[in-house]
Amino acid sequence: MRTGNYKESVGQIIALSDSKAAWAWTAVLIAALIVAPYLVGAYALTLMVSALIAVIGAVGLNILTGTTGLISLGQAGFLAVGAYTNAILLTDYHLPVWLSLPAAGVAGALVSIVVGIPSLRLKGLYLAITTLAFAFIINHIILYAERLTHGPNGVFVTGAKLFGFGLQRGPALYYLTLALAVAAIFAALNLLRTRIGRAWIAIRDHDIAARVMGIDLVRYKLLAFVVSSFIVAIAGALLSLQIRFVNIDVFALILSIEALAIIILGGLGSVAGAVLGAVFLSYLPEAIRLVLSTVIDPSSPLYTNYVYEIRGIANGLVIVLFLRFKPDGLIGFWRDARKYWSNWPLAY
Amino acid sequence: MKIATSVLTAALLSATAAWAGDPGVSDTEIKIGDVNIMTGPAAFVGRGVSLGSKIAAGEINAAGGINGRKIKILTEDDGYIPSRSFQALTKLLEEDGIFALNGTSGTANVLAMMPLITENNLPTLVTTAPSALIYNPVRPSVFTFGASYSDAFYAQLKYIHDHSEPKNPVYGIIRQDDDFGQEVEAGYERAVKEFGVKDGIRLRFKKGTSNFAAEMAQMKQAGVNVLANGGIFAGAANILSEARKLDMDIQSADVWSEGIPASAKLAAPAGYDYLVGDYVALTGPAVERFLAMAKQFTTPDELAGVSRYTFVTYVGLKSLAHAMQECGKELTRACTIDKLRHTKDLDTGGLSAPVSFDNPQQLAGTEVAVYQLNAKELKFRELVGFKKY
Repeated sequence: MRTGNYKESVGQIIALSDSKAAWAWTAVLIAALIVAPYLVGAYALTLMVSALIAVIGAVGLNILTGTTGLISLGQAGFLAVGAYTNAILLTDYHLPVWLSLPAAGVAGALVSIVVGIPSLRLKGLYLAITTLAFAFIINHIILYAERLTHGPNGVFVTGAKLFGFGLQRGPALYYLTLALAVAAIFAALNLLRTRIGRAWIAIRDHDIAARVMGIDLVRYKLLAFVVSSFIVAIAGALLSLQIRFVNIDVFALILSIEALAIIILGGLGSVAGAVLGAVFLSYLPEAIRLVLSTVIDPSSPLYTNYVYEIRGIANGLVIVLFLRFKPDGLIGFWRDARKYWSNWPLAY
Repeated sequence: MKIATSVLTAALLSATAAWAGDPGVSDTEIKIGDVNIMTGPAAFVGRGVSLGSKIAAGEINAAGGINGRKIKILTEDDGYIPSRSFQALTKLLEEDGIFALNGTSGTANVLAMMPLITENNLPTLVTTAPSALIYNPVRPSVFTFGASYSDAFYAQLKYIHDHSEPKNPVYGIIRQDDDFGQEVEAGYERAVKEFGVKDGIRLRFKKGTSNFAAEMAQMKQAGVNVLANGGIFAGAANILSEARKLDMDIQSADVWSEGIPASAKLAAPAGYDYLVGDYVALTGPAVERFLAMAKQFTTPDELAGVSRYTFVTYVGLKSLAHAMQECGKELTRACTIDKLRHTKDLDTGGLSAPVSFDNPQQLAGTEVAVYQLNAKELKFRELVGFKKY
């Protein structure tokens, strides 16, 4: 049991973790994720890809909302920008995927500047409504710019290949998504440990005090929008690769609400919380389905007539109970468990 | 030793109980998938759709199944969200191993599932959302049953023009700002050009709009007395309600979604005997026969949920079953698709025009019938039988 935590250099202070055990377990987790496609079926792999895309999106939103304190209901719009950019560049302009994916991120970042500049003086609900309006504007632009976006017909996404491997299904898509999720997580963790991350946290905690301390609010708020939207647009591009079809109906407002629910449930302001929230909410419907089919006879009238309502209620109930008993989110469970393990057999 | 091995191999091969063909087919059952709107605001549509498959399967199984195999329907919910449709179909294909798909939710949902459908050569009947985007371009294993919104609206407007047009007709349209709305407007455009009538005003609204006060005020100002009402469910009812508040004397052509009892109940208080164009029957002996038959396979609660969405999926599964029947014991997806392609004049008992998929677009049920609601009695009557437009 460690009795002290001594740092002897700046490098040690800003290291992601000073625990060899933590790095070892991280390596084990990554190894497990790498071999997963060979152990699970195609449907389970699809769920994993969906969860990883949700992780990327949640990490992006967490930078804006959790770290900088800027509430955004426009995530569906940024997802759409990323998805459509990737789809159009791949399908209509036949660009390779290693160009279309980053381009999707850049498109999201550029659009976020357009959203961010008018939003700089806004906070709280006012900012939320502004970003929501942006999501509506994006939908309209996609519908009316038919020459570019194919309007309401949508775009079938084809031609995503890397080194001869098709990237739109199976293990290839999974590995691409895993790599980008790991990159997004490390990028977010590293950013939070820099001057930029500290400025974001200061803005979230008290923006006037942050300004008094010399933090340029305009610059850092815009930067938060740009970085967040870049990552979320990449998530949108990956979604377009997975579904292989994009249309405005794919990016309904509910996605923005779900994204917020993910980071709140996971633990606002925490990258690990965003990851946990994304994984939890991605698998919750499946877990409820499995539990219900075990507990209730699938051939019974109760199951056949009411199973969808029961699932919906169970879904909502689980989320409400979690927030009631663990308001700091899923990351709170992790912190409690870690503290218990470190302090055992002592209470504190 | 060699003889023993050969005998053992032969014994093992002949002992297999399963028909080792395409997924979803065994000696005793055929699994048919159904991806539907089972939750959310549009769940009552999905329930109606699901009932169609259930009733058709019950009827077919009661008559002995398909060459001795019973049909098993596996339903997954997509909540009308395209990304969930993709996930739902992935589950049906990879985990449940379905043979074919009947019941496909909305247009965007079908398109989201299309890459999986074409990859797996999955025999698919699209009956709920027969959009041109589904059959243009045609996909080899996809068969569409249903008329276009364009034809349905043209049929209604033609009836109004031929039989009950007001003295100084001014036509107007209010439609959703998406691909569905575009199709509605295409039918309106065709009617207005052909009849040479005054095109009063064309309005668009975003999906989900519920307040049409401003739009209907514009309609009144334009003097519209023949309305192409492109709203659906509560939207359509609100449009008519606003028209009544403004004391507008209008004849209204509506989407086929307004032919279901729930929509009629919502819209009837406005007092307009609106028209509906549909590719399945809304009333008549065929519907009565269907309801009498359906009682055997549904609970009273379920029977109350039967609507035109039930009829479309019922026809879809019956068409699919007919093709599977023709394949005999050696049932494969390729054979089913081939038989579906050769389906001609399949009788649906009057629920629709006879089904024929033997055309390049693999499209059937394009004939439209026109009905009119009696708002006081909440009953529809047929004005024009099934006809091609």
